[in-house]
Amino acid sequence: MSALGGAAAGGEGINPTASVIGIVVLLIALGITFFIASTGGTIALIGIIIGGALIGFGVHFVPVGGAPAAMGQAPGIATGVAMLAAGAGLAGLFGGAWAAELGFAVALGAGAVGGGLMMAITCLMVNVIYVFGMGIPSASGKVDKDPITGDTFPQYKSQGTEGHGLPFISYVGGVIGGTLGGLGGTLIYLELLGVYEAALPILYNVPLEEVLPVAVSLAGIFAVGMFLINAVLTAYNITGTIEGPHDPKFKRFPRAVIAAAVASGVCGMVAIMVVAL
Amino acid sequence: MVENLVLGIGVTALAGALATVAGAAEDTESDIGSQGDPNSQVQLAPQMGYIHRIYNKAISGEPPAYGLWCALGAGIAWALMAINLNAILALIVGAAIAVFVQGVYATTAYLGRTASLAKFEQPVYIDILKSVTTVTMAHAFVAIFTTISMCYLMVAALGHPFPLPLLGLVWGIALGAAGSATGNPFYGKERQYQEQKFGAGVPISASGNIVRYAEAGQRSSLDNGWFTSKLAGPASGICFGLIVFFELWRTVLFESFAAGWGAVIAGVVIILIFTVIDRYVETWARNTFGPYAEAPAEAEEAAS
Repeated sequence: MSALGGAAAGGEGINPTASVIGIVVLLIALGITFFIASTGGTIALIGIIIGGALIGFGVHFVPVGGAPAAMGQAPGIATGVAMLAAGAGLAGLFGGAWAAELGFAVALGAGAVGGGLMMAITCLMVNVIYVFGMGIPSASGKVDKDPITGDTFPQYKSQGTEGHGLPFISYVGGVIGGTLGGLGGTLIYLELLGVYEAALPILYNVPLEEVLPVAVSLAGIFAVGMFLINAVLTAYNITGTIEGPHDPKFKRFPRAVIAAAVASGVCGMVAIMVVAL
Repeated sequence: MVENLVLGIGVTALAGALATVAGAAEDTESDIGSQGDPNSQVQLAPQMGYIHRIYNKAISGEPPAYGLWCALGAGIAWALMAINLNAILALIVGAAIAVFVQGVYATTAYLGRTASLAKFEQPVYIDILKSVTTVTMAHAFVAIFTTISMCYLMVAALGHPFPLPLLGLVWGIALGAAGSATGNPFYGKERQYQEQKFGAGVPISASGNIVRYAEAGQRSSLDNGWFTSKLAGPASGICFGLIVFFELWRTVLFESFAAGWGAVIAGVVIILIFTVIDRYVETWARNTFGPYAEAPAEAEEAAS
């Protein structure tokens, strides 16, 4: 029961009705895309859906403490879930797009590493500020022991707080989250770029070289947009703050993966229809 | 080949330096304007009975706000370059126009947020609006100009396929994310709660009781910029500078190896190095500062 007397919102489980409706919407989007853009478009849309699901899954790894972390009252990075994940994922997308001409696998690798690198440096600098600027050691509020290093936390939590800083498990979670975000964002970009590179020269009846900047721009804008959609959607699933993979809220990820897949499916369909209709 | 490589490394270094300045200016701007997560306390304070003279413009997180301003600056510069205006001049004009948008944003945000606290008797100070807004605009100009200049280098010298406005959006969001992540705790804990004990988090019971008085008279947001520019600003600058530098460096230097996989492997190695450094910092803090309280088992032994 909430304070207003209604049913409690949130929770850990998956809502079966909502999930079935979501999957039906996803299948309709795939069907429409197949009808309009044939097999090539459908395969691209499946790639976009996988990319969106990767983003949704990856955001759960990113340790975000929001406003309480800015006062050393809770562990995590002192900013918003969606925005931090977007920052990392888009840095990954930058690297992936740069490596696009070297092949699909290399571009995905470059995107993933770009996102991971951004988070690795950011998480390190967060700890540097906490330790050398504020004299505060890292301590998790959700677990008593770090699952990786075995460090104990209860005696390292200052009085009246839920913990602070970034324990090693949160650091690793941040890097994994950035990596998955970069990978997902780059996958969406590459799939859309493939669709536009194939469709735009026919649409305008010009060589590919002439419309390549348009294809790159369109794919990039849609990839950024879809990244933000999936990151914000996942932030709603997390509701506020999360410490990383050891946080009980992490178990909510299947719900966000379904939601991200549906949202990416519908948005991807629209992005493909821009040139297919 | 070698000339291209040398040029690439030089551009990488310049882009890294620009990013460092951008990060420092971004964080200082957000601390003076109080746009990061610690602003929750600035908004909370009057509701707890603590009337203050701190600026209050957090109607948006730093990443989307900087995404907007940098995309706007880069877009205008790109349009001006398309009509053959000198690149440097185009970047300056783009950044200047984006800063006017930032100024409008800051003014309306301060008036709106502070007016919403009227029933808690928090006044809207017009002198704060006049004195602080222009300072945030000046810092925002530095942050936007350096970021879009860095983006221009990526397009013009390194050949990144994204158009300038899209790069402005991508790196603007990353700038806001890096700056808010690194700089917020120092502004929140060390400045707003300067009266609390050093070396510990702020107890949740102290929420809202921010420091409101300075050496003489009431504390101004300009003082917060002076304080945070000592550590939070430079640290944010180093954070964003390292991100941009290593992202470019690994690509420029190692992309030609192993059909492109060289840059990926270099990235993984850099991540591992930063992970080791982070673990060292974490253990150093535990060993140097020690626990706040004895472990329960040790406490029992001591009692017996």
